[in-house]
Amino acid sequence: MPTPAALPSKAVLIGLDGATFAILDDLMARDVMPCLRDFVAQGVRAPLQSVIPALTPPAWTSLMTGKRPGEHGVFDFFQKDQPDGHYLRFASSQDVGAETIWSLASQSGKRVIALNFPLMFPPPAVNGCVVPGGWMPWRQLRLGCYPPGLFDRLKALPSFNARELALDMAFEEKAIEGCAAEEYADWIALHMRRERRWFEILSYLMHEEPADLTAVLFDGVDKLQHLCWRFLDPACRPPNPSPWEADITDLCEAYFRQLDELIAGIVAQAGPEAAIVLASDHGFGPTRDVFYLNTWLEQQGYLAWAAEGAANDAADGRGNGAANGAPRLGLGQIARHVYQLDWERTVAYAATPSSNGIHLVTRKPDGSQGLSRDDYRRVRDELAAALSGVRHPVTGEAIVAEVLTREAAFSGPYAALAPDLTLVLADGGLVSILRGESVITPRAEVVGTHRAQGIFVAGGAGMRRGVTLPECSIVDMAPLLLDCLGVPVPADMTGCSPAALDRAARARLDAGRPQPLVRPPASNGQPHPALPAARQAAPVESESRKTTDATAVPDIVFDAEAEETMLRRLRALGYVE
Amino acid sequence: MATLSTQLRAEIVEMMTELAGDWEYDGEITPDTYLFGDLGMESLDLVVLCTAIQERHGRMPFAEFFAELGQRAPKDLSVGEFVAFIDQHQQLAVSNGAR
Repeated sequence: MPTPAALPSKAVLIGLDGATFAILDDLMARDVMPCLRDFVAQGVRAPLQSVIPALTPPAWTSLMTGKRPGEHGVFDFFQKDQPDGHYLRFASSQDVGAETIWSLASQSGKRVIALNFPLMFPPPAVNGCVVPGGWMPWRQLRLGCYPPGLFDRLKALPSFNARELALDMAFEEKAIEGCAAEEYADWIALHMRRERRWFEILSYLMHEEPADLTAVLFDGVDKLQHLCWRFLDPACRPPNPSPWEADITDLCEAYFRQLDELIAGIVAQAGPEAAIVLASDHGFGPTRDVFYLNTWLEQQGYLAWAAEGAANDAADGRGNGAANGAPRLGLGQIARHVYQLDWERTVAYAATPSSNGIHLVTRKPDGSQGLSRDDYRRVRDELAAALSGVRHPVTGEAIVAEVLTREAAFSGPYAALAPDLTLVLADGGLVSILRGESVITPRAEVVGTHRAQGIFVAGGAGMRRGVTLPECSIVDMAPLLLDCLGVPVPADMTGCSPAALDRAARARLDAGRPQPLVRPPASNGQPHPALPAARQAAPVESESRKTTDATAVPDIVFDAEAEETMLRRLRALGYVE
Repeated sequence: MATLSTQLRAEIVEMMTELAGDWEYDGEITPDTYLFGDLGMESLDLVVLCTAIQERHGRMPFAEFFAELGQRAPKDLSVGEFVAFIDQHQQLAVSNGAR
């Protein structure tokens, strides 16, 4: 690792999706990640509190914006099309209703490289280069690259492989559908290749398009932990592993050993003048049970299935179903789930398998269905109280640790798009929105699921040495990165730069700190696509927004097939069982 | 002088041809090419493609279009149909002065 300069002149953000010290500390101690161990020892570390929900899209958006979901408008992989509607669509960059570190750095004349971050399609017109990640299909990756021509430059690289770089359901499904033992090794190998491909693109751009703010996200950490938690967590590893289990454990360690080398490579390429920040969007931990939330809502009388939905539960359209003894968790069922409700008799439902959110059906203007304004709060309070009382049938322990109202969890101009209630499960897991035979079902195997506490590590130029800070918030990362760049932190940013900078860097920052950016309401500010103008805060002008026509916002509601594809992907990523 | 429709068709075909080249599809993209059957696209590809088109041409009722597509058999879409839909709604937007 290079000897860092006294003051940073640029910043590098290395995102490790879902990384947790619960795993990394063990890997560092066992010399699987020696570079990271040394980097941490010479820098700053702290637990990093995620947002609610601790989920990739809202959490990374919070890191990028320094704001919480109610303030930036991204709550899930999906977005409600209208606050009172039932329909969902894919979340995109156009749902990010706040300035980002990319746009703020660009506006200050800084150059940016942003690779593999979610919510970056359509790509924002930054002063630099963007290759989006998240739900970007490989066939469309050309459309996601910015500036125009970047994709062709990357395509000319010897190792470029769009199919492996972006997500390809053919790969994801092959490795995950059925979770056959012989597919694990290929799955892990794919993610090792994918991380290396991102690293190669990063290296190319760092050389050819050197930036002030360079950022890359490695998302294989999250994927491996979802599927291979029992091989990674020292507390879960089989005491007497079979040869196959030993092989998979070795492969998991090989992934992290390579990741360690990639991190070291990035730090080396960044040079001594760079401040380096490593962060995860959330942490991870084990989960052992499935909580069928919609089944519970049905049993409590809040939800009713349409007749068609009941029929569809018998088989998933792929030959799987109760009749042949296969699990009744077919993907087709998930895909049709939201559309299988009897809306005349449903007042509360969980719409997505990733947000732990419950939506209440409020009365339409014609009074045809849903809760009246007077009933809304009563029903919500009843629901919250009842959910707090759900117990595990064997242990008797509470299943739901916390029930948060929309106001408590998502205050901000976009709160109307958020679920009415959000659950925090006792084991940190995610609910199922499927129709289960019972409310609580043990999983066949321990799997990994999200936890609120991720990681923050910083080092390099301007950073303190050998310091462990108390818990920081993910919204603190944006102001820290802007501080490293000398870019003014907007006054409306929620996060505060943590005490990671050393005395010299802090003094330079204080001496040269310009007035915080206070932007006037813009005349052509982009409204959030799903919010009526009256519900939005004063718009904030973003020079990085390509779309200036307020009508040019997508409202693509996904059909059953598209939703099925999305949910296959969610399952492949481990968000649904 | 090329009509709006002709320009749009050329633009969409050019975009599809460029994308298909990345997939190593070596056939010619014509109005009769099917997005799923011929090009091997998935639903998510179409959703992302529509998002990109809306970036260029403004908001269009793709939700209704997808719903209609999902109810018919076969559930596939030709480039010609796709262009016609975009053209129809772009023309409407122009005539309404919305663009």
